[in-house]
Amino acid sequence: MRVGRVAAAVLVVVVFACFGGSAAAAAKGRAPERWLDMYLQGSDGYSVHISSGPSGHLNLKVSKGWFSATYVTRDQLPAPDRVKAQLRGMGTVSVRFHPRGPVRQPMTPYCSKRQRPTLQPGLVRGTIRFSGERDYFQVEADEAKASMEVPKKWNCRYAEKDVEFDPSERDWVSKFTATGDGVFFLARRYQPGALPTGDALYFTETGELFKKTPDLPWLLIWREIKVPAPASTFQDAHPEHLTISPPPPFSGTGSLVRTPESVFTWRGDLALQFPGLDPIPLAGSTFEPGYCLREWGCIDQHLD
Amino acid sequence: MGRGRLSLVAVALAVAAVLLGAAGAGQASSRRGKVEVQPARTYGYLDLGRQKGYRLVLYVPNKRVVVIYGFRFEHGEGESFGIRYSLYAVRNRGDLDQGEVRARFGSLGRVDLRFRPNGKVSKDGPQSGCEGGSEIAQSGSFVGQLSFQGSGNYFHLSSSGGRAYLVHSPRLKCEAGQADEVPSGSVRGYVTPSPLISDRHSIALFDAVGHSHGRQVRISAVHQEGSAPGAEVQVGIAESRHGVAVGHGIYLEGGRGTLLTSLPGAHPATATLAPPAPFFGKGVYAEESQSWSGSLGVRLAGLKVPLTGPGFHVHLCVANPLKDRNGCEYFKGEPPADERAPRPGWVLR
Repeated sequence: MRVGRVAAAVLVVVVFACFGGSAAAAAKGRAPERWLDMYLQGSDGYSVHISSGPSGHLNLKVSKGWFSATYVTRDQLPAPDRVKAQLRGMGTVSVRFHPRGPVRQPMTPYCSKRQRPTLQPGLVRGTIRFSGERDYFQVEADEAKASMEVPKKWNCRYAEKDVEFDPSERDWVSKFTATGDGVFFLARRYQPGALPTGDALYFTETGELFKKTPDLPWLLIWREIKVPAPASTFQDAHPEHLTISPPPPFSGTGSLVRTPESVFTWRGDLALQFPGLDPIPLAGSTFEPGYCLREWGCIDQHLD
Repeated sequence: MGRGRLSLVAVALAVAAVLLGAAGAGQASSRRGKVEVQPARTYGYLDLGRQKGYRLVLYVPNKRVVVIYGFRFEHGEGESFGIRYSLYAVRNRGDLDQGEVRARFGSLGRVDLRFRPNGKVSKDGPQSGCEGGSEIAQSGSFVGQLSFQGSGNYFHLSSSGGRAYLVHSPRLKCEAGQADEVPSGSVRGYVTPSPLISDRHSIALFDAVGHSHGRQVRISAVHQEGSAPGAEVQVGIAESRHGVAVGHGIYLEGGRGTLLTSLPGAHPATATLAPPAPFFGKGVYAEESQSWSGSLGVRLAGLKVPLTGPGFHVHLCVANPLKDRNGCEYFKGEPPADERAPRPGWVLR
């Protein structure tokens, strides 16, 4: 069941939960925030990062290339060195952290020396078992490399240090967005040479919330993909007519057209196929389109 | 104003401000650089109740003019909204400073009233951007004779009962643009159709003004950027009948198919206007033949008024929201419709 707005609300809760810094916690006499991070290799080249922090949620992030999916559910154990979570029939994580080696204070990008987190390396032992939708990947282990981290600032986490490739905001010349229920699609065309591959970039994020039932805990799934492509996939020479045809895993074409009613419609068979799922439509009357030319301004079309 | 009367009067006065404020926009108050003066004025208001869904009001916007107006809010399909109104304006022959309102509305009726305060007085400071004394509002009632029959026989007044107010507003010194507009001397100006629609961020705008046999007709349709299919439509009709300036109008939100235009830059440009009832038929504008033709008309206050023909001056704007950031902005700063010279042609962006 897709509940986009609920998902967004949950995201807000999660984000705000993450904002409480350990420094603030210490200042208020509370125990500092601790994060337990585990790193594994799944099947078919997928990397798996499992983390559990002060919000009481377990995040299992699967990534490969420009694709990632994050599965979020409740961590049933409040103890910082233990994790126990059921991922709604897709798997289970039940482990305990064992420290190994000396505590470190590693550098993190964009953070000062004083903002370095404290990191205790180690490993987790227990059960880690998870299968993606339609078994697009699996991971199973009874031991994994892990670390216990105490960050000094919420955005200076060592475990989240990998800054994903994202070209500068200043470099795009036109962009298109389509917002649907639980789906956000973004296409940007860049100045020539701004991207290492192609001059267009396509991004899609979906949110899917499975509510708690008497038998199953809630599960929130975020999926996203980022695909660079040639500029020829983003045709907007006419200022009020745009055609987009991104490469796989996207398929089909979407067109933004101004009608005689002066309404901007977003139509076509544009779709996206995430691993393990049926193609998701990205065009149609249920999407609110927006189109911007950097030097001029934006068009935002609201639904009926 | 006192809180107690706000709920009762606010809507009617707000409507008056919109309907009549625009009418008097022809003459600005004294403007000298960054400061302008809002002259002292006295105005009166009498709530005449409701008939057939219309709220009826006698409004004396200044010493010289008396207006009887009725308006009715309407709800169309979905959440669409509309307002229908009629205005009747004549000279006041009474002395409003003495609380007198005396006027003849030709064959439609007459008023001969005197304000009786009930002792309740409220004060309100000057509006934002202005300085000076407080506005003093006396509440009370009007006594005397009032008989009036709206054209089309859709309301009939025979009693002056109802809450009334007489308000004295002092001379104010205001920042430029903050002073209320001073109504023009013309009684006709109080019923002349002016746009109630905002043209800011409009990306399709059609406006046609016609004069025929002393009657002025204006129809405007606007589609705002980003809004759902359809257009806001307003028609206003103004004429003089035996010394009475009469105005009728309607504003509504028309759905899909109301206003269709060619796209920006397309020539020859075309537009088709087909609003829902009380409009009927369809009007077609063609740039190539410079024509505005078709069966489009409106039924309003017992009138059946054609809205097309060679006597109309037409303006069509189809803006590109990426280039014309504020949209068509056609209505902004234009002279009152009755003072406007015939338009030279069509502008298409």
